Amino acid sequence: MVKKKFAETPNFTIRKDFRPLDVKEKGLVFVGYEISDDKKTMNQFLHYDQLYTIRHGWNSPFFIGLLEGKIMGTRCPKCGDTWVPPRTHCWNLDCNLQRTEWIEMPKKAKVHTWTVAGWSGRSSLKRLPIILVYGVIEGSKTAIANELHGVNPWDVEFNMPLKVVFKPKEQRIGAITDWHFEPADEWEPSPMNKEKERIKKLVEPVYEWVKTLK
Amino acid sequence: MSRKVCIIGGATTPFDYGPTGFESIEGGAAECVREVMRDIPDFNLRDIDMMIYSHFSVHFGHQLSAEWIIHDHLGLVGVPHYRVENGGNTGGSALYAAALAVKSGQHDVVGVIGWETMDSVSQSQGSEFIALASDIRYELMVGGIYPIYYAAMANKWMRENKVTEEDVALIAVKNRNNAMDNPKAQWYRNEHRYITVDDVLNSRLISYPIKKYDCCLMTRGVAFLLVTTEEYAKKVNPDHYVTIDGMGLSSCTIRAGDRLNFPGWIERYGPGYPEMTEFAACRQSAEVAYKQAGIDNPLKQIDFGEIHDAFSTSEAQIYKALGLADSENIAQFIRDKETYLEGSIPMNPGGGLMGYGHPVGATGLMSAIEAYYQLAGLIPKKHLSSKTQVPDPHTGIVNSHAGTGTSISNFILRRV
Ligand SMILES: [Zn+2]
Repeated sequence: MVKKKFAETPNFTIRKDFRPLDVKEKGLVFVGYEISDDKKTMNQFLHYDQLYTIRHGWNSPFFIGLLEGKIMGTRCPKCGDTWVPPRTHCWNLDCNLQRTEWIEMPKKAKVHTWTVAGWSGRSSLKRLPIILVYGVIEGSKTAIANELHGVNPWDVEFNMPLKVVFKPKEQRIGAITDWHFEPADEWEPSPMNKEKERIKKLVEPVYEWVKTLK
Repeated sequence: MSRKVCIIGGATTPFDYGPTGFESIEGGAAECVREVMRDIPDFNLRDIDMMIYSHFSVHFGHQLSAEWIIHDHLGLVGVPHYRVENGGNTGGSALYAAALAVKSGQHDVVGVIGWETMDSVSQSQGSEFIALASDIRYELMVGGIYPIYYAAMANKWMRENKVTEEDVALIAVKNRNNAMDNPKAQWYRNEHRYITVDDVLNSRLISYPIKKYDCCLMTRGVAFLLVTTEEYAKKVNPDHYVTIDGMGLSSCTIRAGDRLNFPGWIERYGPGYPEMTEFAACRQSAEVAYKQAGIDNPLKQIDFGEIHDAFSTSEAQIYKALGLADSENIAQFIRDKETYLEGSIPMNPGGGLMGYGHPVGATGLMSAIEAYYQLAGLIPKKHLSSKTQVPDPHTGIVNSHAGTGTSISNFILRRV
């Protein structure tokens, strides 16, 4: 008797690899050491590089949606609460973990709160300064974090109207970075004020610093 | 009646970024225990009947179950052990676990050891490792590291509470300058200088409104804390033990953006709370701890605190969540320097995360150890002078904090 699997194995027919050439999987490798001149202390260098598979499973419609230029959210059929990022079961304790349904969300949002980053994780340094906003996508009960493009860092405002803008189809990778926020077409920045001058002063050295990065 | 839980001793290695003098984690742990043995000559390792290990990220160590290395290095074979991990609140959660173990009657003498070795990778890589505790599917790649999430929350909070960059800079100044009296503090051991509000305002932008000196430090460090029954405390350290009179642990969403309308909070505190601005898990865990300790006016009934100042802004937000001030008076509360050493409720006299350092798994324990020293009158012995000893304190609060406020614990410690 062949043991049957309890869940059917998906047949993965679409596969795309876009690993940069300089990323090499080596697993665990000792790559060097250093010893102090008094020969009392040693540091050893260990390199670890490993490919992970993130199995999106039931959350997959969100990420497949990104490839198709859609923001997919979920909605509870019992209480009607709707979310981006999606929840596959309702958060309302009275709904007893009701399974939710997928819906396509409008590409309109509002700034809930914002910040202007002058420092970030290694993989984001070259994109600084970054305006990060938590935007509420129309109809959602939650805010989602993403970058705001197309505006000076000192011009962001609370409650400003936003649109969701996707990268061109061929550049999308099925990750949250496939889209960003931009100001809605009707929005105009307000005149300079004291706070804007302050942010401008804080941000200017960041532009200079980024130019020095290799 | 459940049993009283006591803290009877504790010590940390020096906190540093780079060499501490105790580079191996097991060596550092052994040195912390040795310091406690010098403080409590009647304490013997054989008395320990459980060990709880407090460690956040394997990414920094590349050693799974590193607690097993420490445990057998201490000679403790046969003694039960397990590790607690709960983000930035790992230390607070380990203390919570130790206190539960003693309270339950299952264990009498519980050692807690916490550590983190954050200098094993570059600072920006370290930030990215910590950010792996955000929801990486939705938040990590959008320029997201914790200071940025905290800045977004603080920007709105400061506006709504009329708190300025200058106000929170006062907190950054206080904690770093307090650390100048503490020889184990990373600020004392590295940058080693007194700073001003202007220094904070002029430091480089991390994420508006947070600048470099509004942020805590990345740290290598180990801490050890001894949690016991009162019977044992009286036996080995009758003159220098404190009781845990209240403790609370609470939780909030991993993604800060999910807090706008969360049913679980609306049920407890009504609509519009905690929003992305307030630390609901801090408020709730404090309420639990206050109730157990019989505190109804924290500002009057608590003498000082060691709290989780990951950012100057979050220390300000914590004041409010702890009920020390409200929207109307929080800005004035900060400007009046109520949490400076000469104020009505000194906060982080030991330097906090901005001054002492933030080796995640050891941090909450460090806060508890400093609070213990304050209540046991040990500050003049442990710091460089009596300058940072809160005068005659009876009650202290210890606060430990994870994620974007995702897990928060509060403990009320009292002098016996
Ligand atoms: Zn529902």
